[in-house]
Amino acid sequence: MCCDKEGAAAIAYRSDCLRAHRARKVRVNVVIGTSLCKWTISYFAAAIAWLVLAEALMIAGFGSPNADVAAPDTLVIVHMLGVGWLSTSMCGALFQFVPVLAARPLYAERWTLPAFALLTAGLVALLGGFLALGGRIPQWVLLLPVGAILLIAGFTLAAINLAMTLWQARPLPTPSRFVAVGLVSIGVSVTFGAIFAFVLSGRVAGPPWSAALSVGIPLHAAAGLAGWLTFTAMGVSYRLLAMFMLAPDSDARLGRSAWFAGAAALAILVLGGVLALATAAGWNLVFSLAAASALMSLLLYGHDVLGLYRSRKRRVLELNTQMAAWSLASFAAAVILGAMLFATGSFVRHVDAFIFLVAFGWLSGLVFATLYKIVPFLTWLEVYGPVIGQVPTPRVQDLVAERRARKWFELFFIASWAATAMLLIEAPPLFRIAVAAMTVATLGMAQELVRARQLADVAAPLRLPAGTSAPRLLVSRN
Amino acid sequence: MTEFIDVDVRPILRAGGEPFSTIMVALDRLEPGQGLRLYVPFKPIPLFDVMADKGFAHHAAELEDGEWEVLFTPAVAMSQAAEPLIVASGTSDWPEPAVHLDNRDLDPPEPMVRILAATEQLAPGQTLCALLSREPVFLFRELIKRGHQWRGGFTPEGDTYQLTVRVGA
Repeated sequence: MCCDKEGAAAIAYRSDCLRAHRARKVRVNVVIGTSLCKWTISYFAAAIAWLVLAEALMIAGFGSPNADVAAPDTLVIVHMLGVGWLSTSMCGALFQFVPVLAARPLYAERWTLPAFALLTAGLVALLGGFLALGGRIPQWVLLLPVGAILLIAGFTLAAINLAMTLWQARPLPTPSRFVAVGLVSIGVSVTFGAIFAFVLSGRVAGPPWSAALSVGIPLHAAAGLAGWLTFTAMGVSYRLLAMFMLAPDSDARLGRSAWFAGAAALAILVLGGVLALATAAGWNLVFSLAAASALMSLLLYGHDVLGLYRSRKRRVLELNTQMAAWSLASFAAAVILGAMLFATGSFVRHVDAFIFLVAFGWLSGLVFATLYKIVPFLTWLEVYGPVIGQVPTPRVQDLVAERRARKWFELFFIASWAATAMLLIEAPPLFRIAVAAMTVATLGMAQELVRARQLADVAAPLRLPAGTSAPRLLVSRN
Repeated sequence: MTEFIDVDVRPILRAGGEPFSTIMVALDRLEPGQGLRLYVPFKPIPLFDVMADKGFAHHAAELEDGEWEVLFTPAVAMSQAAEPLIVASGTSDWPEPAVHLDNRDLDPPEPMVRILAATEQLAPGQTLCALLSREPVFLFRELIKRGHQWRGGFTPEGDTYQLTVRVGA
């Protein structure tokens, strides 16, 4: 039979392969691998819908980010983005990605739809509770604890599913350890959130609870935004960037220092924060130590990512990897901005701009860059997997039109940076114009994902060869 | 020496599935004289009686983390083989690979595409050997659907995943 490569290199490789074959050097392990998570695409679609809704509200001037962070209307926007957009897309991506990291199937695929329903219902109730708190819908403050309970249930179901999948794959590779810390962090964030919901709705009262409300908000936000969303995204990016840039990542030490420093930062913040809460002292020390450790983690992460970029074998990067680089640049900018605001003592005043840059330039940018790769990939696998090798099939990149999509990504990043700047100079009308540009870009990127799902950019002869059937827009066949 | 067919039901059990039918399907597919090597997360004591009724002796060995590897050897082979429990654990009972692929520097999912395309060119029973830079987790389900068997693992250096696929009938 044929050999894939000719020449000396191929012969050398071939003898390696045969030697391993004969000497039984490889660990023989027959596993079933992983498959498509049926509801991942549904998570993504719902997440984008929440993003568009939040953007529309910001354009309308609802929940002005310059207002008090704890104002009910601001809380509506913040949770629509943090839970609806970022956490929903993160859960959907992790249901697909954690089994790849663990090289085994998701612990309980059948839990993914109930988790989705609980998260969505919980968020709707929570938002209703905030609206009631702001007097926009009277007498419905009870929705706050109802939403909190539903969200606890949804996040618990999702986190246990992911944690059990990881647990079976011990010892964990470094990217999985980031995800594990992320799962603990979402637990912390949701716990604090639930306490707030009960306090704000008047279900519980008294000094310890009201103190939790005043000091707990930074912990709630940091555990959610930094521990859950950012730390998880960092871990996942190690594997995704290596995969898409063809960079070697088999060194088990890669990312370990960044993980250690980051996990330490979160531990200091949460444990120290609870201690500070109990003793009503030492909050500044806790925050400073955690910030220093977090900064160390981010510097190490930046060093690792640059190392992956330099050692890549793929010279020309695809749009998704290029845009991931833009989001990493936004992340670096957010770290510098945060440090500058902190140094000048204006962090509290401009915390909105800092959080906006983290949420949009970094996290949303990375999520969109990732979606632009995994939605076409999952669609391709779903449609063409069964007939690969039997009939001519398109390549994954034939499902997308990068040149057309690029402008939406560029607009999204530039508009998110502009919006951050408008928050810094406190110019609400210009901020709303920048958000409008972001919304146009969001809709443009969503349209590109829909086109990939519909195989709209695949040349007709290859689109649906014999033995294949068209994918459904919002649900995968698995 | 008895040839063993590997069946790993750990993922099925972890996913909340029922492994018995998979084991029985594998049993039905055994050639005369072939045995079954079963990987399970617990010692499957009830299965021993079922298999004994079907003429298989068992030898269970505990692996790391409390998981078990159980060898079911056909009773006839037991009586004939001089060393029945020292069995082939590599791919040495499969024919030499007819195709070699070095897919280490290819973009995902190109390694998978090449392997599946190559299997289409092979006759039943033939094998191919492929080197990959990571475990091809999405490939396995396509191999299952097509009735192929595979064995794979990382080389001791940890930077190459070596996969051998045997084309099913």
